[in-house]
Amino acid sequence: MNHSARWSNVLLSPDRTESYLDYARGWEKRIGSFLELSPPVPASPPRGDLAGIPFAVKDNIAVEGFNLTCGSKMLAGLKSPYTATAVRRLQEAGALVVGKTNLDEFGMGSSTDTSALARTSNPWDTSLVAGGSSGGSAAAVAAGIVPFALGSDTGGSIRQPAAFCGIYGLKPTYGAVSRYGLVAYASSLEGIGVVAESVGFARRVFEVIRGIDPLDHSSVEYLPSGQTPPRPRLGVVRGLAGLSGEIERAYRRAADLARGLGMEVSEVDLKTFDYVVPAYYTIATAEASANLARFNGIRYGLRPEGTENPEQLVKGARNRGFGDEVKLRILLGTYVLRSGFQDRYYVRAQKIRTAIRNDLQALFGAVDLLLLPVFPTAAFKHGEAGLTPFQQKLADRFTVTANLAGIPALSFPMGSEAGAPLGLQLLAPAFEEERLFRAAESFAEAVPLEHPPGYSEEWRS
Amino acid sequence: MELKELYVTASLAQLDLSDEEAETLSALVGQMVEYFSTMREIDVENLEPTTHALLKTNRVREDAVVESAAADTLVGNAPESEGRFIVIPNVL
Repeated sequence: MNHSARWSNVLLSPDRTESYLDYARGWEKRIGSFLELSPPVPASPPRGDLAGIPFAVKDNIAVEGFNLTCGSKMLAGLKSPYTATAVRRLQEAGALVVGKTNLDEFGMGSSTDTSALARTSNPWDTSLVAGGSSGGSAAAVAAGIVPFALGSDTGGSIRQPAAFCGIYGLKPTYGAVSRYGLVAYASSLEGIGVVAESVGFARRVFEVIRGIDPLDHSSVEYLPSGQTPPRPRLGVVRGLAGLSGEIERAYRRAADLARGLGMEVSEVDLKTFDYVVPAYYTIATAEASANLARFNGIRYGLRPEGTENPEQLVKGARNRGFGDEVKLRILLGTYVLRSGFQDRYYVRAQKIRTAIRNDLQALFGAVDLLLLPVFPTAAFKHGEAGLTPFQQKLADRFTVTANLAGIPALSFPMGSEAGAPLGLQLLAPAFEEERLFRAAESFAEAVPLEHPPGYSEEWRS
Repeated sequence: MELKELYVTASLAQLDLSDEEAETLSALVGQMVEYFSTMREIDVENLEPTTHALLKTNRVREDAVVESAAADTLVGNAPESEGRFIVIPNVL
């Protein structure tokens, strides 16, 4: 099936743009995935590999002409002065930004409910969260408003919402995609990646956005081995505890399917597994406390009225501009970096990070791919019926490993149960994204993609 | 976490917490710090800290002037400006 053919003409005339907006707005009333939706009117037909294809961008990634709010009162109304490298490369390939999607404030959360600016719901069932922090991007793709969207993944923020919404989510190798234009949260862990309706789109978008960038000194030359084993050895983790029934069933089913698909399945242990979450939150909050120090209300952003000196101005802006979850993480990060505490927390977490890398390196000697759940449950409910912020953090235990080790991971749909989609993820060594795509394509042949009620392709024809 | 510790930390982070906020946050920060203490259980003897997963060397570029067209938009984003100056309250 030629996926782009169905998408490449949707914005080519005012009539078509009208149909596009009708479909998008119909969804938006229910799911609120966009903070800003403003499809362009191309002056001339776009050219390139992705010509005319609409896409959405998480609102912590810069696109000139659009806002850059990070879902925060601090930056509400801020106009982006420039465009992120990943977005620019897609635009050069002919793709068209239609808008900016909602997120947990500064990417801090697993539900998109910490956004201070809008509420996003899951297209499958609006009583459920879309996941986070790239919840708006995932919801927009699952609803069929765009075939792909950019997100960012610091500890699972692409993969988890993709799983909650029943689509694909790629967190690339650290440094494979330039972070220029991504508002920094935890610089050593995060990267720009893609949520997509198909493996094909995820692969093509990744091919366009990756590569070294002089504007991001942590970007690296993309050097894959070029070898994708025809019968990959797949590791499944022994004795995973605390999974919901539906995720446990999906995990077992995927392992059985993998054998049928010709993969060599073996059970493996992750020795460092119990320490990934505390190490992750120590490092992520430490880096966040430094990165978010720049938001002081002086050069841009929210500024309180009537302050009499710069200190009042800065503290006032931060008090009123940041939400509870952001304040919590800044305080935690500041605490673990305080003089006298560094060895106990931050340095120890970094040493555990080394142990995790060693653990994975040994593991990838024995297997080519690792299969893990994305989250212990399917999408949870909004508010008090869902998970507390602390429970959500503990539930990051399957996703943060890839960020700590800098390796690529792809979440893929595994059907649905009781009206909620299920997702699992594959992990591979650095630069071996192609292994992930191939394996996900095999699974896709056995497990057809499902869409939420109300999804339609008819308006596109 | 003791309130005193929280206020010291908040001041370092340039956050002025209300009494109510401080109560809530001291419990939440304390819960996470206690959770972090589980890291004591694992042996990290002889391990070097990892600061970046894959970054091995620093990268530098030619020391050359590069034009940026973003200056006006940047100044335009300031909450208060006069011409090309950003206005802030009196420092002295």
